[in-house]
Amino acid sequence: MSKVSINKLKKQFGDAVALEDFSLEIADGELVAFLGPSGCGKTTTLRMIAGFIEPTAGSIHIGETDVTNLPVHKRNTGMVFQRYALFPHMTVAQNVSFGLEMHNVSGKERDSRIATALDMVRMTSFRDRYPRQLSGGQQQRVAIARALAIQPKVFLLDEPLSNLDAKLRVEVREEIRSLQQNLGLTTVFVTHDQEEALAISDRMAIMYNGRVQQIGSPKELYDSPSNHFVADFLGRMSFFKGNLVANGRFVSEAGTNIQVASGQKVGRIGIRPERINVGAHPESDNVFDGWVESAAYLGSLIDIRLRLQGGDILNLHVPNNASSANTAIAPGSPLVASFRSSDCVLFAE
Amino acid sequence: MMGYSFNHFDPMDLMVETFTLENYVKFFSDEYYRKVFISTLGVAALCTVFALVLGFPVAYFLAKTQSRYKSLFIVLLVFPLMVGNVVRAAGWMVILGNVGVVNATLMWLGITDEPIKFMYTPFAVIVGTTAVVMPYMILTLQSVLEGIDFSVEEAAQNLGATFATTFRRVVLPIAAPGVAAGTMLVFILCMNAYATPVLLGGTGLTMMAPSLYDQIAKASNWPFGAAMALVLIVTTLLLATLSNWLIHRNYVKTMGA
Repeated sequence: MSKVSINKLKKQFGDAVALEDFSLEIADGELVAFLGPSGCGKTTTLRMIAGFIEPTAGSIHIGETDVTNLPVHKRNTGMVFQRYALFPHMTVAQNVSFGLEMHNVSGKERDSRIATALDMVRMTSFRDRYPRQLSGGQQQRVAIARALAIQPKVFLLDEPLSNLDAKLRVEVREEIRSLQQNLGLTTVFVTHDQEEALAISDRMAIMYNGRVQQIGSPKELYDSPSNHFVADFLGRMSFFKGNLVANGRFVSEAGTNIQVASGQKVGRIGIRPERINVGAHPESDNVFDGWVESAAYLGSLIDIRLRLQGGDILNLHVPNNASSANTAIAPGSPLVASFRSSDCVLFAE
Repeated sequence: MMGYSFNHFDPMDLMVETFTLENYVKFFSDEYYRKVFISTLGVAALCTVFALVLGFPVAYFLAKTQSRYKSLFIVLLVFPLMVGNVVRAAGWMVILGNVGVVNATLMWLGITDEPIKFMYTPFAVIVGTTAVVMPYMILTLQSVLEGIDFSVEEAAQNLGATFATTFRRVVLPIAAPGVAAGTMLVFILCMNAYATPVLLGGTGLTMMAPSLYDQIAKASNWPFGAAMALVLIVTTLLLATLSNWLIHRNYVKTMGA
C-alpha cells in the first residue's frame, strides 16, 4: 500500500467547475471518506484518482509516483463500483482471475490468490456461480475480492453500499472496515450517507459545490464544524442568527438571549439536539420555556421542534428511556429545555 | 406457393397441377441456377460481414456518446430508410457509373486513364446492399451496446486491461447475443434483396430474388419460381435457426436472465 498525495486538483467541464483547489494527503493505511450531496465533486475526485477523468490542473501522486497522466490500466488501483460491475459472462472465480491475468500472474500463484481473495470475503463456496445467481451483497463482496486480488496500491470505493438494503449495508460496511484495517489498505470511500462515513472513516472530507468544506476525524467534524454548511449537513443542529452583545452573551434576531463561550466574530450559533435537556438541568446555563410545535416518534428517540417565546425554533431529541417513556409530549404542550453554553458552536456567519 | 412448386410447367398451359420434384431437380442440377444460389449466399455473407465490421464502431460510438447531437446522428442513420431502395440504387449509379463521381475523381487525379467498370459488377451489388442494410445493423448493435453497464468496461480497465483487451474479453462476449441478432437480421435482408441487385448488378450478377421474379413475372413459370422462392426461404430459415442454436449453446447458459 502507498500514501496518496493530491495537490491543488481542479476539474472543469466546459464552463462548469466540478472541483477546485482540492489538496489532500492520505496516509499509508488510512481510510478517508468523501462525503457530500450529489454534484459536490466527490465522485469526480475519486474517478480522477482512478484515472477515468483527466484533471484540468493539479497533480496526483500514488506513493512517490506521479500518476496524473498515467492511463487507468497502469495505475494499479482497486476500484469497487456502485453497481458492482461484475463481468456477467464470467464466474465468480473468473471475475477475480481477470485482474490477475492482466497482471501476468499465472499458475499456482494465481490459483492461490483467487482462493485467498474469495476466502477473505467468504465467497469461496460460490466460486463457480455466475453474478446473476448472486444477491446484491454477494455480488459486491465478489467485486471487493476482485479489486483486492490484484494487490492494488490504493483501494477506491464509489458508493459501494448504496444499492444494498439497510441491514446488509451495515454488515458489508463493517466487513470493508475490518478488511481495510487487517490489510492496511490506503482507502478512499465515496458516499452520500453520513452515518456510513462517520462509522467507517479515519478522516472524512466534506465537500460541497466542488470545494472541500472541512477535513478531519468524524468527531472533529461533528463536534467542531468549521462552517454552517458542515454543521447543517452532518447530523442535526438548531441555528440562531444574531450578534454578540457582550462577551459570552448572544442575542438572536428574534430576541432570544443565549449564553455562549467567548468568541471573536460571531454571526450565528448552533446547538445539537442531543445536547439539549428537557427541564432545567443544574449544569445548563441556558434555560428556555417553549411550546412543542411537532413531535416525531422515531423509536429510540422523540424528535421535537420547540417554539421559543421570540419565535426561534429549537430542535431537541428526547431519548425514549424509562424516565421519559411516560411523559406525554403532544403538540401544543409547554416544555422547558436547557443546555450548556459550552455546547454551543459558534460561526462567523 | 409450396403447392405450386410441385406443379408442372407447360409453355402452352402454363401451370399443370400435378406432383413432381422436377422444379427442384432443375434448380439444383442446372449450373446457372446453382451459380445464382451460391453467389446469393456469398454476396449476403460478404455484405453481412462488411455491415458488422463497419457498423460496430459506429454503434459503439452512438451507444457511448454523451453528445447532445446523438439523436441527430440517429435520425441521420434512419433517414436513408425513408428513401426507397430504388432511389438509393440510383444514387449509387451516379456515384459508381462510368462517368460517375468515383471515376471522375480517379481520372482527375490521374490514377486511371479510362473509367473503371464498377456498375453491374458484384462489387457494386455488395457496396449497394451493405449500404442498405447498415442502418439495421447499427441500430440493433447500438441498442445492445447501450444496455451494457459502462462501469463493467471501467472495471476491466481498472484491473489492468487495455482498451483492446477490454473490448475483446468483456464488450464483445457480453454483446454477442446482440451481434448475432443483428447479423441474422441483416443476413436475411441481404439474402432477399431485390431492387439493389437488379439495378446495380444488372446482368453482371444475378441473385435469387431477381431471378425468381423473372421466372414468375417474365417467363410466367410459376412452378419454377415458386420452387426458387421456397429454396430461398428454407435456406434463410435454416441458416437463421442454425446460428440461433449456436448462440444459445455458447452464450445463453451464461447470459440468460
